Amino acid sequence: MSKSDVVVIGNGFAGLMSALVSADQGKKVTLLSYGAGTFPLNSGVIDVLGYDDSGKAVANPAQAVSAVADEHPYKKIGIQALEESVKFFQDVVAAEGFPYVGSLNEQQWLVTGVGTLKPSCLIPESMQGSKCFEASEIVLVGIKGLKDYYVDMVAENLAKELGNDKKYTVVTVDPHYQGARDLTTKDVAAWMDTEAGYADFVSQVKGNAGAGKVILVPQILGLKGNVVYKKIVAELGCPVVETTAMPPSVNGLRLRDVLLSALKKKGITVIEKAKAEEAVIEGSKAVAIKAGGEVRLQTYNADKFIVATGGFYSGGITMRDFGEAKEVVFGLPVECDCFEERWVNKQLFSDKKQTFAKTGVRVDATLRGVDESGNVVLENVYVVGRNLSGYDFCFEHSGNGVALASAYKAAKA
Amino acid sequence: MVKDKATVVVVGGGATGVGILRDLSMRGIDALLIEKLDMVNGASSRYHGLLHSGARYAVRDQEAAKECIEENTILRRIGKSCVEAISGMFVQVEGDDPDFVDPWVKGCAESGIKTRELSKEEAWSLEPNLSRKLVRAFEVPDGAIDGFRMSWQNVQSAVRYGGRYKTYTELIKINIESGAVKSITVRDNVTKEEYDIECEILVNAAGPWAGKVAQMAGLDCSVSPSKGTLIAFNQRISNRVVNRLRKPSNGDIFVPHGSITILGTSSITIPDPEDTSTSWEEVEELMKTGEGVFEHLRDYRILRVFAGSRPLYVPKGADGGRNASRGFVTLDHEKEDGLKGMMTICGGKFTTYRLMAEKFCDVLAPKLGNTAKCRTAEEDLVPAVSEADKKAARQYFPSYGVNLAATRLGTEKFPEVVKTLKENPETREVLCECENVTMAEVMRIAQEPTSHSVADVRRRTRLGMGTCQGNYCAIRSAAIANKLFKDKLEGCGDSLSDMKNFLQARWKGITPVMAGKTLREAEMTRGMYEVLFNVNGGRR
Repeated sequence: MSKSDVVVIGNGFAGLMSALVSADQGKKVTLLSYGAGTFPLNSGVIDVLGYDDSGKAVANPAQAVSAVADEHPYKKIGIQALEESVKFFQDVVAAEGFPYVGSLNEQQWLVTGVGTLKPSCLIPESMQGSKCFEASEIVLVGIKGLKDYYVDMVAENLAKELGNDKKYTVVTVDPHYQGARDLTTKDVAAWMDTEAGYADFVSQVKGNAGAGKVILVPQILGLKGNVVYKKIVAELGCPVVETTAMPPSVNGLRLRDVLLSALKKKGITVIEKAKAEEAVIEGSKAVAIKAGGEVRLQTYNADKFIVATGGFYSGGITMRDFGEAKEVVFGLPVECDCFEERWVNKQLFSDKKQTFAKTGVRVDATLRGVDESGNVVLENVYVVGRNLSGYDFCFEHSGNGVALASAYKAAKA
Repeated sequence: MVKDKATVVVVGGGATGVGILRDLSMRGIDALLIEKLDMVNGASSRYHGLLHSGARYAVRDQEAAKECIEENTILRRIGKSCVEAISGMFVQVEGDDPDFVDPWVKGCAESGIKTRELSKEEAWSLEPNLSRKLVRAFEVPDGAIDGFRMSWQNVQSAVRYGGRYKTYTELIKINIESGAVKSITVRDNVTKEEYDIECEILVNAAGPWAGKVAQMAGLDCSVSPSKGTLIAFNQRISNRVVNRLRKPSNGDIFVPHGSITILGTSSITIPDPEDTSTSWEEVEELMKTGEGVFEHLRDYRILRVFAGSRPLYVPKGADGGRNASRGFVTLDHEKEDGLKGMMTICGGKFTTYRLMAEKFCDVLAPKLGNTAKCRTAEEDLVPAVSEADKKAARQYFPSYGVNLAATRLGTEKFPEVVKTLKENPETREVLCECENVTMAEVMRIAQEPTSHSVADVRRRTRLGMGTCQGNYCAIRSAAIANKLFKDKLEGCGDSLSDMKNFLQARWKGITPVMAGKTLREAEMTRGMYEVLFNVNGGRR
């Protein structure tokens, strides 16, 4: 069995970035992939830090990151690695022809699929919600038959955020869909990728375009990078903005495709359907991962391992019973403050962080798992993304930011 | 001010109350039922939904066992669309008292309950998830029953015979003159208006609240509310009801319903019937016992945990809780306390609700000079939706959802909904894939006089009560409610609050079981609504 320098376990955003940064260091990388990560769920935007501990919106992510609590992964990663990781990411996607705008010094704003505003840090050009701020009229485009995008509701909520001195116009585009099932944004995006579909859409919207206006659409501007976006902005002559979307999110899939393309160019080996089942440990080091399909397990040897298997949602962290939280591949020590009085907030949408959400692997500043006395458990195993403890990515809007920065730091180590 | 009048007023919209309303109406007695909230909000919808064969009571209470098997047979016949006519199994696992089996088999035989012993191999082949520590297994004629729907069908049946009902109408005072009930004072909980209703006989069928109602007349009625906690899992763990073959105890029963399974119950005496809180300890006890029957129980996703309170009748000087009788009692306060015009019905269980109503009304009717015989066992609760209507529906509706919708809506509303689906294609949108609820159905139920809030519509249609825990329908429900029902239904504020409230209602049932796969679902819910949709609002 051939041996890699680095084996990355997990193909979510943290896993793909770990692989890319490792390969950039000249390492021979194997990526074990199982499932689709959270790309279909997270709209492919890089939130670094949207809200502080008191729930107040963050204007300058870099500043706010410097002020996080000691338990927070950013404290361990450090601002320098975060800054470098942002540059690295922007270079990668730009080289693939899918540039992301934004910087650590200024928050970007997205319009969500229900019409609220959402802070984020690095976003594709097609999702710059702040273009709505200066517009005098927002033209909201709904799609007939599209499920889970209620254009009237988006208009109502957006008007609450942006004020009633703007005009809000709703236009419904008919994709002339003849099938029997409901449409998703992915279906409509595929329609927009066809010449006929694109022309049909433009003809139905064009009359509403014009100076001072912004065209707000669900996430439907094609499945491939920014091809449709560039074309339609040029053709309509005014800004076009996509919202975040109910899963499966088109932009999440675009970002995933772009990163996989970059991986391929770097010569990274991606093993599909390779669920990591077993770690081979010798002394204080991991030497191999056994992973594979239904029939038999394959052994993947490496000098270094990066754990990017995700949290509860992705199954990288499990807790079969109260207090029995586990990191599933290496059994690394998990921080889990599981007491009935504080484990779950009574309110789902709470004014404070959810304790259960902070469950993850306890690491030191090198992002290696440590026991309760702070001793590194496995010296060549690094932990990234939602596997980490000490932050509630939902409350603070920091999921892909922690993923990116921790992936960069772990890959560089 | 007197605003209404009925010969009999029934207090309480649970199974007992609606059973009595139907029985009286079929005997030709003018009856009105009042319920302080929405219909069927208490124990009749907050239990495991077991249609008892009676086998559970075969050792300790053969009278109850006999009643159960007789009623089981009747309800399977008159309430077809509410009953899953599955069977049940009693299983003994290692560690259970082996000496319990013989008296149990004998008790079942004496009570008229058919049992058949299965070999272990046969039991495992019928229910592959059963524990490998199985010792003995018996088949019994248990079933599953939808208490919410069956109660509503009783109401619909009563209405056809002239019975009336008022929801969100709360009893606040019983007016007594010269030793007899003359009228009651009620409050409309929607308009807050207070008014009087005259009656000849007041029936206290308030279940665990019966003690409070009796107090309003200055009477003491020993009802001990006993809380039962239940856990709903997101799939069928078994195809039959599975009971533990031992002395009845907590966490003994698994009942499959549609696409879910309910495990119950605990039995904790509580002072306040409104208390439906649950703790980790209760959940853990149920899970631990449940694991005895299904070893891999913790690998299933829990949908929610919920609790209801049973109305156990405790004769003076006896204990409540597990030892109190599951039987029922009819109290004629004229005989017991010298108060004319008031009767109370206490205790009982869902399976025997019809029989309870029959026996109760056999005492009540003669007081009014009515000698009609009970006919509630003879006639189906509701007529079945015709095959022609179902066939028509399949053109516009996901065909696998037609039966569900037909039984939810019944013969009158179902064809109306199909007509809407036909004429207005936009109403074909399936708002809830788990329960197959179309926009047309939601629009129709919203028009019902009993629909005051979005929550009322949700209970009737089951929108958002399925296995996705509201993840996919919260946004749809908020958007639709806001578009169609604003200013018509309570709970339509702004769409963001609606969405949050919708998910919060599910959250209450999830928090006590936030472990295992439930954590996974919770992280997804938050990822969607808190992160992607940022429902807490933007530039705060």
